[in-house]
Amino acid sequence: RTIKDRKRKNKGCVLREIHLNVTDLGLGYETKEELKFRYCSGSCNNPETTYDQILKNLTIKKRLVNDKVKQACCRPTAFDDDLSFLDDNLVYHTLKKHSAKKCGCV
Amino acid sequence: EVTQVNRCLDAAKACNVDEACQKLRTDYVSQCIRHVSRTEQCNRSKCHKALRKFFDRVPAEYTNELLFCPCEDTACAERRRQTIVPACSYESKEKPNCLTPLESCKGNNICRSRFAEFQYNCQPSLQSTTGCTRENYAACLLAYTGIIGSAITPNYVDNSSSSVSPWCTCNTSGNRQEECENFLHLFTKNICLQNAIHAFGNGTNLNPV
Repeated sequence: RTIKDRKRKNKGCVLREIHLNVTDLGLGYETKEELKFRYCSGSCNNPETTYDQILKNLTIKKRLVNDKVKQACCRPTAFDDDLSFLDDNLVYHTLKKHSAKKCGCV
Repeated sequence: EVTQVNRCLDAAKACNVDEACQKLRTDYVSQCIRHVSRTEQCNRSKCHKALRKFFDRVPAEYTNELLFCPCEDTACAERRRQTIVPACSYESKEKPNCLTPLESCKGNNICRSRFAEFQYNCQPSLQSTTGCTRENYAACLLAYTGIIGSAITPNYVDNSSSSVSPWCTCNTSGNRQEECENFLHLFTKNICLQNAIHAFGNGTNLNPV
């Protein structure tokens, strides 16, 4: 099995998009502006690397019972461009690394 | 009363969901709000450059809505005034005589040609029903946005009217009073520009046939 084959099996990990008010982000800004928020969602059950394969094997054989080792998670591998907006007190703010551009099992 | 329409806010929302508009708006806002030192609030030339890029590259359907959105209350009009981040791009401690920014505009190739376009396309006429010699509101608005980010950057003067002006006065013009006022009145007393902005707001910006 090649890495490429394994990666295809994790196609559950995808980029999703939701239209939100900036206030929905819960970052404390008071504004009526809105944005597109993109996030990563889906499972990463299939090992992508030899490391992941070993972890999976050791977990099945109950060799790592005392440690909390985590398998790969569906996370952003790149972020969207920054976003500026004007708040209700007429102050501009810029959000950085707030929205996903690409996702991967990492 | 139902929720008031704020077209300037709607324009910002629309820009945020368009990739190019969102990116270039963020670019100029970031440049224009970046503090460079204790004494200097921002880098005006970088702010101006980013503003020119925004108005040059983003389609007019977005830029015009952000800049010429009609307003009925001060919340809307203040948002409209803030569009170009005036603290960096427009205002300065002293208001110079208008001939100073005009001279520096004439000494810059981009500014000189953009100003010529503005004079041509927003030339007022009392004989025309549109108030414009060229009878083309869209061309006048485009020429107006073309000079944003230059030495003669115009903006709304307050949060209660749609009067626009560059940041300068014609006080103490001496024997060049008339020359100074001819320039200033291209903004403050220009029936063509005023009609073009007003017509955009109420959707009658279609050119007469």
